[in-house]
Amino acid sequence: MKLLFINNLGGGFADYVDVNDGTTVEEFFGDKMGHERPEDYLIRVNRQPVPRDYVLQENDRVTLTPTKIEGAG
Amino acid sequence: MNDKELVRVAGTIQDALEQLRKHRYTRCAAQLSLFAGTMQKLIRDSRRLATGLSRDWFAAAERSCMTINRQLGEIPFLVSNLQSLLDRRHRDVPSLSAIAAELWALQQEFDDVEFNGEEDALCVVTEPITLEDTYLGRFRVALYLGSLRELYQKTPYFVMAVDPHPAATDYAVTHPHVTNDVLCEGDGAAAIRAALETGRLVDFFTMVRSILTTYNPDSPYVALSDWEGVSCYECGYVMDSESSYYCTYCENAICDECSSVCAGCSEIVCKSCAGTCEICDSSLCPQCAKKQCSECESVCCESCLDDGLCPVCKEERDKHEEEQGTENNQEPTTGQEATVVGGRLADGGQRAHGNYAALQPHGMGQAPLLPGQVRQ
Repeated sequence: MKLLFINNLGGGFADYVDVNDGTTVEEFFGDKMGHERPEDYLIRVNRQPVPRDYVLQENDRVTLTPTKIEGAG
Repeated sequence: MNDKELVRVAGTIQDALEQLRKHRYTRCAAQLSLFAGTMQKLIRDSRRLATGLSRDWFAAAERSCMTINRQLGEIPFLVSNLQSLLDRRHRDVPSLSAIAAELWALQQEFDDVEFNGEEDALCVVTEPITLEDTYLGRFRVALYLGSLRELYQKTPYFVMAVDPHPAATDYAVTHPHVTNDVLCEGDGAAAIRAALETGRLVDFFTMVRSILTTYNPDSPYVALSDWEGVSCYECGYVMDSESSYYCTYCENAICDECSSVCAGCSEIVCKSCAGTCEICDSSLCPQCAKKQCSECESVCCESCLDDGLCPVCKEERDKHEEEQGTENNQEPTTGQEATVVGGRLADGGQRAHGNYAALQPHGMGQAPLLPGQVRQ
């Protein structure tokens, strides 16, 4: 199934991706973000926070936003 | 915001994003026009060059070459500007319902969301922020929709401290990464711009919050370790640690004004510890201030002491010696020296200057009292 993945890490990235049916948010995060820790991200599906075992649906919009971003001076 | 207001604000944001899109195309057209104008000038000058050559007008040909060279130099800059504008990915302006959904989600994410009609700004207030035990308070993030169309030229949002707790050394710095209400986005710059371009308001405000709640010790306007500043022990002036000095003796922090360098050993000393040379007024550390004139006991720096005497005492001694020498020269000589040379000084008395041994009036009761000697 296809869903919109928005990753706000680094330069930002938004595109449609294919995932298997029954994929949970936790699995999706592990697949896309590798060694990043889920607790360092605000994970939302369709603009709403979801539990880690939420099963993704067709056309869902998954947004990952780091909770720690280093500013400068 | 109630539903009616929410839809109205969504419409305003959509208009702003349309303007941003139009502004990008307008800038592309302007840059393209500049580029095309330069190319036309090149064509014109190449014709002039050909005409000059056909008639052997070398001076005119040289002028054409110089003009062409200058125009060629402008082309890379124009092309670079144009490419950076054209390279930007096309961003669809989101639908009204999508923006409304963003606004609705924004209200779920933040407790304090409002649209300020006077400022034409969508505002969010953060929770109180504390970084490494330094309380910074709450911040109001205001996105000015009127400025959104100029996103590529200037920042359309400002971050203002609600209850400011600025750095002691710079009141404009209300957060290690905020100065004059402008956030230095650092690692978040590109993602924030992308979020604004596509009307992802929740992403924009949450990323700003993520920067505000993160401290980057490698690149702050004012480091948190210096947030309260360092107070000068002498005058109380608050400074950052890089601007402060420390007294070598009492080890208290002092400002530039209250510090002085010892003229003797170059150590830094505070006003309280510093002594002063009574002759030249230069500062001295407690150690160097122990040096005194052996005659009058005034504190003297090394450079003012001569033979252990201050300049005043030295002058007096020299004067005294000179007078003594003159007196001895005029009086009949007695003693050993006179005996040796048969009652007269061999060099007519001039040798007496600077040679006390030659002038000792043994047994005459006229021994001169030299500086530093104690009368018995």
